[in-house]
Amino acid sequence: MPMSILRQNLPDAFREACFIIVLSIIAGLAVNLARTDSIPFIQDWSTEGRLSQDNGDSLAIPLSEAKTLFKENKAIFLDARGQELFNEGHIKGARSLPWHEVDDYFPEVIKGMDRESLVITYCDGESCNLSHDLAIFLKNMGFTHVKVLVNGWTVWGENNLPIEASDK
Amino acid sequence: MNSFLRFFYHLTRLVLGAVFIYASLGKILNPGAFAKIVFNYQVLPGELINLTALILPWVELILGACLLSNRWMTGASSIAAVLMTVFIGLILFNLARGLDIRCGCFSTKPEEGPMDKLTLLRDALFLVLALCLVGLTYYKKTVYHKNQLYTV
Repeated sequence: MPMSILRQNLPDAFREACFIIVLSIIAGLAVNLARTDSIPFIQDWSTEGRLSQDNGDSLAIPLSEAKTLFKENKAIFLDARGQELFNEGHIKGARSLPWHEVDDYFPEVIKGMDRESLVITYCDGESCNLSHDLAIFLKNMGFTHVKVLVNGWTVWGENNLPIEASDK
Repeated sequence: MNSFLRFFYHLTRLVLGAVFIYASLGKILNPGAFAKIVFNYQVLPGELINLTALILPWVELILGACLLSNRWMTGASSIAAVLMTVFIGLILFNLARGLDIRCGCFSTKPEEGPMDKLTLLRDALFLVLALCLVGLTYYKKTVYHKNQLYTV
């Protein structure tokens, strides 16, 4: 595009773009104020903030506690990452329930599981949301004891706890 | 502007307008779910996540409406090109980091699946269309101004 055309049109483009953005800001904020399912303009997105429930309890479980439950075989670990990552390596005995394909995997994965049993979901990364989303989903599906091991795959490995790979 | 360019100009603005409006609707209807998707990209500070989730879909909707109605075209086409460039940058950044996240481009539902190279290809196509539209819009406006100048 010749520079003269660009130079000639840039002021108009800037002015119109500003109009569109200002209109969008007003509409976005006003509609949010008016709706019943509005979200706060500023929210706590820290790990603690994301995992705290309406009753004030946290969904997060400390590694030490998860380790004890693992050793006593008192919890079921669910890996919320994709199937490929699960096959490469996962917490020993964990089941794969990829959040992105939860509807496909869910009926098979929960076969034989008691909805009262303690379930610990995990994924990888401090801000990975898959395990959190999966935990909320499980709670909505009637599971009463669901916890999230934050950054589970990494912290589990860092502490040399038992892992395994899948042959699939 | 010859008839082919005029046809291409209207075609690109209608296609992009429809795409942006379609992309905005799910996000406007589910701001909470979209905020989570914005968070998952892990590029914005916490204070800006909800504001982005509330405002960005309206930018898409209003610019889509501008494109469909052929109004404020220099601004709307420029924003479309800038947005597509930013989206592609974000996808590249997260694919390079190996983050397993959803694009959130057209849906806030988990069924959309994680983003991949096809998502990138699709957005690259939209970027090419947006850049063509910017060029045609600027050209059309310049020609129009020139014609007006000569007819005065």
